[in-house]
Amino acid sequence: MRFEISPAKEGVARLVIEGELDAVSVAELRSDLEKLVKARPPVVEVDLSQLRMVDSSGVGALVSLYKRVRAQGGNVNITGLRDQPLAIFRLLRLDRVMLSSDSRVPPSPPAHKQSKSRH
Amino acid sequence: MQVVSAVGEAFNNVVLHGYAGRKEASIDLRIQTRRGLIRIELRDWGASFDPTTVPPPAFDTLPESGLGLYIMQSFMEMTYRAGRPNLLTLSKRCLAERAGAVRKAESAT
Repeated sequence: MRFEISPAKEGVARLVIEGELDAVSVAELRSDLEKLVKARPPVVEVDLSQLRMVDSSGVGALVSLYKRVRAQGGNVNITGLRDQPLAIFRLLRLDRVMLSSDSRVPPSPPAHKQSKSRH
Repeated sequence: MQVVSAVGEAFNNVVLHGYAGRKEASIDLRIQTRRGLIRIELRDWGASFDPTTVPPPAFDTLPESGLGLYIMQSFMEMTYRAGRPNLLTLSKRCLAERAGAVRKAESAT
């Protein structure tokens, strides 16, 4: 699992998670998610287009992020879900609550993968 | 995908709950495939649980935990026998057999 968190610019923070978010890898993410929430960004954009697998622990971390940011009056926009992660979100009925209507349809895969700095 | 998800949840469940606090423990994992049926058995020697007492997730509250058993039972047939060892069995008919059955039916007509 790889992730990148960009601090809020003009009120929008960005979280990108790639690979597999599971009971083991989620531990690497938790402290950074904690910092992200404490920064109280008005909006958190979560890009999961390169997330291949998620398990219940990974879902738990994303739900926690969603609930805490919302409790602070902010908003979380999750985009790019597809394949297994989308199936899990649908099974757990999270798609109805956590995904905006335009993010329920997975986008086409990008033609070229961009290189990014990562943690 | 569903098999991988269910087995992953089962494995994590044993590690996180059955063997909570243990630095070393063992899980016996057996995979059987036969006539389009995949059957996975996990044996562990940790704490037992009773899946019939675990309530389904309260989806309207956006639960952050207690989702693993629901994923397992949604994606595969699950049975559990507490004991030494505990035995959790997950089984599922494979798509390959369904596809084969369709092809067989089509060729017969």
